[in-house]
Amino acid sequence: MSRQLLEFHPRIGYRFIPGVKARVPHETGGYFVRANAQGFRSDHDFDVNKPSGMRRVLLFGDSFTAGDGVSNGKRYGDVLESQVSDLQVYNFGLPGTGTDQQYLAYKEFATEIRHDLLVIGVLVENIRRVVAHYRVYKDDQGGLQYYAKPYYELVDGELTLFQSPPAREPLSEEQMQAQGGDSVDRGGRFPGLRKLVNKSGLREVVQKVTRYQPVPEYDQRDHPAWLLMAAILTRWIREHSGPVMLMPLPLYHFIEGASSPAGYQARFRELAAATGCLMHDPLPDLSACSAAERRGFRFEKDVHLTAAGHAAIAQSLAPAVERALGAVEGR
Amino acid sequence: MSKTILGISAFYHDSAAAIVQNGRIVAAAQEERFSRKKHDPRFPRLAINYCLEEAFVEPDEIDAIVFYDNPLMTWDRVVKNAIEAGPAGQAQFEKACRSVLGIKLWVADYVRKIVGSLGKLDRLLFTEHHMAHAASAFYPSPFEEAAIITLDGVGEWATTTLGAGRGRSVELIQEIQYPHSLGLLYSAITYYCGFKVNSGEYKLMGLAPYGEPVYADTIRKHLIDIKDDGSFRLNLEYFGFWNDLVMTNDAFAQLFGGPARQPESRITRREMNLAASVQAVLEDAVLRIARHVRKETGLNNCVLAGGVALNCVANGILLREGIFDDIWIQPAAGDAGGALGAALLVAHEYFEQPRVMNETGRDSQHGSYLGPAFSTDEVRAFLDRHGYAYERVVDDDERANRIATALAEGSVVGHFTGRMEFGPRALGARSIIGDPRRADTQSVMNLRIKYRESFRPFAPSVLAERIGDYFDLDRESPYMLLVAQVKPERQKPTDSLAFRDGKDDMLAVINQERSDIPAVTHVDYSARVQSVHADDNPDYHRLIKAFEAQTGCGVIVNTSFNVRGEPIVCTPADAFRCFMRTDMDMLVLEDCLLLKSNQTPLKDDENWRETYELD
Repeated sequence: MSRQLLEFHPRIGYRFIPGVKARVPHETGGYFVRANAQGFRSDHDFDVNKPSGMRRVLLFGDSFTAGDGVSNGKRYGDVLESQVSDLQVYNFGLPGTGTDQQYLAYKEFATEIRHDLLVIGVLVENIRRVVAHYRVYKDDQGGLQYYAKPYYELVDGELTLFQSPPAREPLSEEQMQAQGGDSVDRGGRFPGLRKLVNKSGLREVVQKVTRYQPVPEYDQRDHPAWLLMAAILTRWIREHSGPVMLMPLPLYHFIEGASSPAGYQARFRELAAATGCLMHDPLPDLSACSAAERRGFRFEKDVHLTAAGHAAIAQSLAPAVERALGAVEGR
Repeated sequence: MSKTILGISAFYHDSAAAIVQNGRIVAAAQEERFSRKKHDPRFPRLAINYCLEEAFVEPDEIDAIVFYDNPLMTWDRVVKNAIEAGPAGQAQFEKACRSVLGIKLWVADYVRKIVGSLGKLDRLLFTEHHMAHAASAFYPSPFEEAAIITLDGVGEWATTTLGAGRGRSVELIQEIQYPHSLGLLYSAITYYCGFKVNSGEYKLMGLAPYGEPVYADTIRKHLIDIKDDGSFRLNLEYFGFWNDLVMTNDAFAQLFGGPARQPESRITRREMNLAASVQAVLEDAVLRIARHVRKETGLNNCVLAGGVALNCVANGILLREGIFDDIWIQPAAGDAGGALGAALLVAHEYFEQPRVMNETGRDSQHGSYLGPAFSTDEVRAFLDRHGYAYERVVDDDERANRIATALAEGSVVGHFTGRMEFGPRALGARSIIGDPRRADTQSVMNLRIKYRESFRPFAPSVLAERIGDYFDLDRESPYMLLVAQVKPERQKPTDSLAFRDGKDDMLAVINQERSDIPAVTHVDYSARVQSVHADDNPDYHRLIKAFEAQTGCGVIVNTSFNVRGEPIVCTPADAFRCFMRTDMDMLVLEDCLLLKSNQTPLKDDENWRETYELD
């Protein structure tokens, strides 16, 4: 039995089922998920008002932020909360989402919540999700089903929202194709080849030898995917009235030194400079760890962050958050 | 001090897990419900995951993990049995070796690998098989002290144990050892009658009322010697289970006039009579054992567990004999219940935690609703995700009325609410329900819904407060573990000549109206009663109340929510699939009502029957 965790949401596409409580079977045995009444992975509900003396961070991201693979308390947002005094972290992470859906979640659920800092944890792979119009899932019988998602396009240079609300019902491959749906996020590049290489057990060797670049979209400043992602982030940062911190979350290829991060690092630096937001890049801190430690930041098979990976991100992020909050309080 | 204990049973049949916190049962479930493999004997990885989910504890937060059986003692029995059997037993020995040496001896390593931890003790605890059964029967019972009887096929060595429970302690005082086993005798005849061992015993019990106990003396003379004190010995000359890979041998076949019935072939008078005969012998043995343990312990109440304790006909007779003031049977009496018993035993005997009694005087099994529940939000999320048509009826009374009306109009309804049952019986949380007043309900439900043998009876769910109006039973039977007669004034005469004149046509009898609740009245006017108490399952009680208000009848038909060979449904997805594959008219998923007429047929599902091995 695998308990369904997500439900349809007309503006975001989906969210956690409010109040759901589950132990998700995993290669480690399993991990606990608990969602609050707002439909996000949290042990407590999100209050609009902030208790006096407390500082509050709103945190957005995908499964790396939501914490696939670890229980709620072991995620970097929760660890951060325990490392920085008088801090509440409201984690709005939603697995499988792109920056577009995370921005929609912010608009839907977060704008009224009093807080001191907005942290957008952008898994660098999200760049592919912002151009996707559908996301593929396996149903409980193992068949593939396609779910429409809301998405933005740049129309005459303006961000325009499409497929909102998305269709509630799943589509088969044929139905999706018939609707002209050729943009599907299948969770990575070269899905066929990836399957073959993974099956051979040579994934890491192949990636190292070929200097595999998992996100080449960042290599060109004018790549359409980056232009779209940058436009969404720019709008989000500019609409937000308080301080924003961008945090590009590296894939393991970058953490373990198999691929060059130069492209994505350059793009996020440029974006931060252009929008005037804060930026924290945790990769230098992570890269300073030993090879064995860095390998331990992901699971044996699952590429998500282990508890050690989350702890390392939190340790890297904590001083930056302290500084940012200090700056807020100093104003 | 707070203690959390995880109990595990596995590797025979019906693997399960249970979790107990501070002496209270938090969760228990069989692996088959999650893996969808009936009687799944594998390590209960998914059931453990569920138990941890319900308790919301990480594996390393568990104080102790306990396995319900001692593999070293089992190995001792296997070796000694092989020596006794000699060269003829080689195949049986090889099979037993594969089973015991494959995993059982290394169970601690297996638990650590799958669960990720052996808990705070950092070592696996073991109980003995029948001790776990005894604990599962005594601790959740409503009795401060009680005599204990455990009866099954075999544990390590024991097949039958007698004992006493007092306060938080359980003591076993006498035992009968393998190969002498009432469970194995019953299973041997189950096998010979063409039913599956460890599964078809229930069918044999249901078949018994169609027959006459004409072989009872033969069984007593040749197969089992039962003494006045209930002790017994099997005559191994007739059995294959100890030296072969089959339950019975040629001598057994000669004794009963020919080879065993082939599975799925026509059931003849011989099988009916054999079923009636072994049932009579079993009842006789159980009564003698009960009288003996009553005398030995001097205790007024009795608790039972072990697979044989699922024989609700024998249980009903035990109650009616009045040997004890009252009896209580663990609803998961088979090996699954061993997981619960082991966990309770560690809580009370190892950690010396006080026993938690139900202050109302009822038992502490929580109606056996110990499995997973799904919130209305989860149900709606599932239905929305797939685009299934449903209507949400939030008001409890309105919903109960709507379902009751459908039942009264002849609809068959899949009923999925609250926490799933622990044990083999569906008790309203995962049930298919119907109108007991209709003469055709039994055949419709057997042939068009359950796809199972037409002779099998259905059970009544009756309002606890009206049990005496329908059945000769003066107390609750919340777990469908007691059989009682339908009140004489409700019975109707039947014409049994067509059946008894030698034509063996069971349908001629099945289709006759035997009472004003014919769908739940067996051919001998008995019924396998489930009383429904509002405290245990308010939704289900409200529904029967609504049916009573509309029809005057305080009873509905209740059968497990599955088709033949399929484990009882666990999740909304399981329930929806089963609903769509059968002729059920309505599905209740918490507060959502689904009508078959509004659904689109499932795609690519025409070969679904191949999914399940027939039981």
